[in-house]
Amino acid sequence: MFVLQLFEENRWYNFDDNHIAPINEEEVKSAAAYVLFYRRDPKEKKSNLLKLNSEYNHLQRIRRVAAMATNRPRFPTAAFLLLLLLLYSKNALHPTLASIEEGEKREEFTEELLLKPLPDRKVLAHFHFQSSAPPSAANGRHHYIFPKAIAQLVRKFQISELELSFTQGRWNYERWGGFDPMSITNAKPTGVELWATFDVPLNEIDYTWKNLTHALSGLFCSSINFLESSAAYSTPSWGFHSNYSNLRYGALPREAVCTENLTPWLKLLPCRDKAGIASLLDRPSIYKSHYHSQRLKLISSKLVGIILEQTLSVVLQPSLRSNSPVSFNAGSLQPSWSVNSLFGKKVTGHCVLAKVSRIYFELEKNLASKVDELNPLNSWNNSVLELLEVPSREFRELDASSNQGSSLLYEFEVSFSNESTPLNIGIHWKLPLIWSCPHAPFRVSRYLMGSGNERGSIAISLQSTQLHEWFLTTSDGCAVHVVIFQVVPWYVKVYYHTMRIFIDGKAHIISDVVRKIQISPSEDKLSPGSMELMLRLPCNIHSATVIVDFDKGFLHIDEYPPDANQGFDIPSALVTFPDFYFSRRYQLDDSMQYKSTLLSKFQESNSAKRYTEVLLVPLTTPDFSMPYNVITFTCTVLALYFGSMLNVLRRRVGQEERLSKSKGTSIF
Amino acid sequence: MAEISLSEPLNHPPESGASSQRSTVPGTKRLILILSILFPFLAGLPFLLKSTEIYRSPLPFSSIDSLSARVLPDPPPPTCQLHAIFLRPVAGISAGRMVRLISEEVDKRIKSGHSCGSCGRNYAVSVTIDSGNECAHSGGGEGNSCFWPCGEVDSSLFSKDDVAVDEMLDAVLRKGGHCMVSGGGKPYTIVLGESEAHEGFRNVVGKHRHAWVVNGNARESDAALIIAKIFVKFFMNGGKEDALQRNGEFVPVGLDGSIVLSFSLLNANPNDWVYYWDFQKIDEALAPVVEALAPIANIHIESQVLYHTPKSSISKWADESGGNIFGISDLPFFVNSSEWHLDTSIAAAGRSKILQYVPTKIECPLLLQLQDGQISKTNGFISPRWGGVILWNPPDCSADFQSRTPIRRTMPRKQLQKIFQVFFGQLRLLFGFKSDIIPVDDVDMIKILAGENGFTEWELDVLYRHHACYNLISCMSTLGSLSKLVQSLPRMIVIDDIGKQVKYSLEAANLAQNNASLGIYDASAASSLQARSLAEDAFFHPSVMSISYSSLEHYFAIFMPFFAPVSLHLILAVVREIRHYRRERAKYLAFVAVHAG
Repeated sequence: MFVLQLFEENRWYNFDDNHIAPINEEEVKSAAAYVLFYRRDPKEKKSNLLKLNSEYNHLQRIRRVAAMATNRPRFPTAAFLLLLLLLYSKNALHPTLASIEEGEKREEFTEELLLKPLPDRKVLAHFHFQSSAPPSAANGRHHYIFPKAIAQLVRKFQISELELSFTQGRWNYERWGGFDPMSITNAKPTGVELWATFDVPLNEIDYTWKNLTHALSGLFCSSINFLESSAAYSTPSWGFHSNYSNLRYGALPREAVCTENLTPWLKLLPCRDKAGIASLLDRPSIYKSHYHSQRLKLISSKLVGIILEQTLSVVLQPSLRSNSPVSFNAGSLQPSWSVNSLFGKKVTGHCVLAKVSRIYFELEKNLASKVDELNPLNSWNNSVLELLEVPSREFRELDASSNQGSSLLYEFEVSFSNESTPLNIGIHWKLPLIWSCPHAPFRVSRYLMGSGNERGSIAISLQSTQLHEWFLTTSDGCAVHVVIFQVVPWYVKVYYHTMRIFIDGKAHIISDVVRKIQISPSEDKLSPGSMELMLRLPCNIHSATVIVDFDKGFLHIDEYPPDANQGFDIPSALVTFPDFYFSRRYQLDDSMQYKSTLLSKFQESNSAKRYTEVLLVPLTTPDFSMPYNVITFTCTVLALYFGSMLNVLRRRVGQEERLSKSKGTSIF
Repeated sequence: MAEISLSEPLNHPPESGASSQRSTVPGTKRLILILSILFPFLAGLPFLLKSTEIYRSPLPFSSIDSLSARVLPDPPPPTCQLHAIFLRPVAGISAGRMVRLISEEVDKRIKSGHSCGSCGRNYAVSVTIDSGNECAHSGGGEGNSCFWPCGEVDSSLFSKDDVAVDEMLDAVLRKGGHCMVSGGGKPYTIVLGESEAHEGFRNVVGKHRHAWVVNGNARESDAALIIAKIFVKFFMNGGKEDALQRNGEFVPVGLDGSIVLSFSLLNANPNDWVYYWDFQKIDEALAPVVEALAPIANIHIESQVLYHTPKSSISKWADESGGNIFGISDLPFFVNSSEWHLDTSIAAAGRSKILQYVPTKIECPLLLQLQDGQISKTNGFISPRWGGVILWNPPDCSADFQSRTPIRRTMPRKQLQKIFQVFFGQLRLLFGFKSDIIPVDDVDMIKILAGENGFTEWELDVLYRHHACYNLISCMSTLGSLSKLVQSLPRMIVIDDIGKQVKYSLEAANLAQNNASLGIYDASAASSLQARSLAEDAFFHPSVMSISYSSLEHYFAIFMPFFAPVSLHLILAVVREIRHYRRERAKYLAFVAVHAG
């Protein structure tokens, strides 16, 4: 299909294989067109350029479609028409399409930011950057936008998937959301978590993993290389991700996350923090936050090339300054804030290399429904709240099943802002509002039981939230599945046969509750113990607890860390609810071919999951001079024994008696 | 101890006359018992020492020392061989006399300052006089007559085009090269001929290892002079008057013997414009260079485009040149190491960076002013051992348009070619040559043919010689340090791997030296690189780096608490038993003497 705008009429014409017909401008922007002819108007040079600018993205897409179309067999009429049009255009039309650059080599970069007020007066800022490199022989050697180091990493270690996260603080599932895309994919356990799958033969995976940890620790200035030893990583088979045989998983709960880790992460962005959304990343405000998680995800395959997804989620506390006149009565409940008050910076333009550069502002379902109840004329400036900037678009969540209302999303185009007109997105509350966030079906906590330095028990307890509609609609016979994935270091020797399961306080037989179990027991100094457990629990329960006992092992003298008295961390357990899938779809304008990597991430359907707390196990710390003490003590005892034996052997009892006798006679 | 002194009444009453003699032979039961405990102890001592001994792989210390005495501080110079061929009759002068004439001239020209890898005075000259009907070799060497087949070519050859002459000479010499008996490298050949087509001297240096001089009928001393000039300046010193004077490497070679040439295109401000390059073209053009330099290092080429990379020096507008000027003095501050993330490669190799800087709109056009006030033609500079920088001003730099449309362009092909020329010149400079081959040397009227892959064969020879020498020095100093370290720490564990690596490294170093003295320069460079990387591997072996060698203090701390008290008991007991036995025996002997008497 060809689309042509006749300049005399200022209308678009559709040249199909079969017919020619005038069409309107909106239809032109649909996916079906793959060649557009523009004319440069000498009188309106400037406006035309602007027009070109706004349609640049659209043209990019058309170029791709055209590339696809050339592969398709076409009718000869189409080729003929193309030829005709090209001849015609030589005289009258200037094919400006030709000026669209090939230099970019289709490496793409997008930057997006999601802002969301949280129920406990905090704000979530979620930065999402995505770079992609198409499959190419030059990957790892020549790059335009995609970071070279990452491509080399993928090439050298044959990574097919990798996720690395640096997290400080703990995601509060109760207050910040336990059943939304943010908590499911972006909440991570404290410290470092790394998992990767490789496209190498099974016997080389461990070797590749070890080298990868060294490369990553150099790249991100962190101690990921501690995951090199086989006692530090595990091989989950289905508890972490479904059915991967070549997955390796490691976590360092005690890793301190700081600017040294953020700077190399930012270096991977083409504009770094010099321009665009990333320029908001003010270090002091990030590291003052309640929770921040910096994540890097890589997906690589021969078909799509390499996709690098970098996200940074921060939960910030807006400062409670009451300098606005209305906030006296309202601000006590929800603080009004803006990007400037959160980060101390404003958005002054986009990263020119980014194909998409947007900021989203999300109102959670419960909040949006409360706003809707007031029936305002305008969802973003009404009697409850007011957004500080006018959004360029507004989307509503597609959620037919529920009648509780749907989330609202406002979009702000960053490319419209510049130094003189910065974008300062924020919210001003006019009425106090209380809302809650969606909860996962179970609250999960994990704790230690027992005392002393010899043994103890780990308990994982699930508390039903009873809030989920799923429980309300189903009958008594229903059941819910829970998958627990737990890795325990080897010096915590778990006795899996001691596993007990209590449901609502009553002990149950394990085989009644456990559907599937996979245990790889720890081997001293060689591998950690890991437990993958699938439970089937009745819907109507209030609580369930899994308890396993363990003994504390002895470490070799040089295996103790310098701060051995602080205790040893057991990494977070991951609890997945495979029955509860969540995805959030927004009512996107289909005809606009709206593309957003962030929103498409939200659309991916993922099962609900939660990470538990990190446990701290105190182990007996030895006196480090002990070996020498033991040696000296034992040797002294041996020497005493030897000496007395020697004396006994060479004593002359008879002679001594005679001597003493003779002495005695001489005395008496 | 107290027990012993109590139980053993040492002060035997000697005054009691009855006990000064004894009638029975003193018993040896206890003496034998004590000695039978002592002897296993003494016999076990070597076993104990052996079992607690630390494993040290025997390192060839003496061969390290002897080789480093030969190599350090200056390795023996490689051999340069010159073969002069006269394709015309030389009146009244024998080949041997000609050899002496040339040698005198060469000696005059060689500077006394000896730099690493240059042949110095270690050269050999041979002469063949091939005047069509008679053929005379200096020294009467059999190899020479085979090397240059007399009568195969004559002076009429030189009437042809230079490139054709070069190829023909190469073909003839290549044929001869096979029958070199010594197995050494090919000598440098200078052919003297005469041709009616040319007036006066015509001196051409080919792209292989030969040159030719065509002159009318010059005197023999003049011929010797020009031969010596060409030999010293080009074949020995690579086109420079002096030998390569710089110390150390020109391009840092990684421990594994590889170099990463990292090309970066820096868009100082992408809001003004973004330029891309079609790097495949540069990659293809560099492929022959990579191949030619393979004996020195494995070269990997990488490229990236960086954005938001302002320079850190300030430039000022100059009306007379129509651009922003910055001078030589600003160069040290040009590279902005905090904003230019150049080291993004994960390879741990030696790295040279070649940057192309696209200035911002405000500072465009950006020009480099040389010391004499001239504007640099290439608009670029290099920093030895680091890399090079080129400033490239976009073509529409001065056009002042206010559109907000982002400009994204691929560099035009012609511009890219021009840039590549400069890149290549910088690469040559980094490797220690002149930036471009000057086709005609003005001083001596010597024409130089450019090589196919950017380097001529004789230039590569110079490079190989230099690298071989540098690698040998570095290898020997590493091995020397290792042997010093191992010898100074007698309780350091030296595992077999290190011993093997040291052995192989020494073998490779010896091979490199032999090859250098034979004149096989590329093999010498390759094996010296191997020697160096093996030596580095041995020195940086993880077991050397770990400090967990068992110290003598530790050894004593473990064994002293047992052996000190036990051996004290034992020795005391032995001493006492022997003393007791001797006393008792004396008594018995006295008794025997009394009764016998």
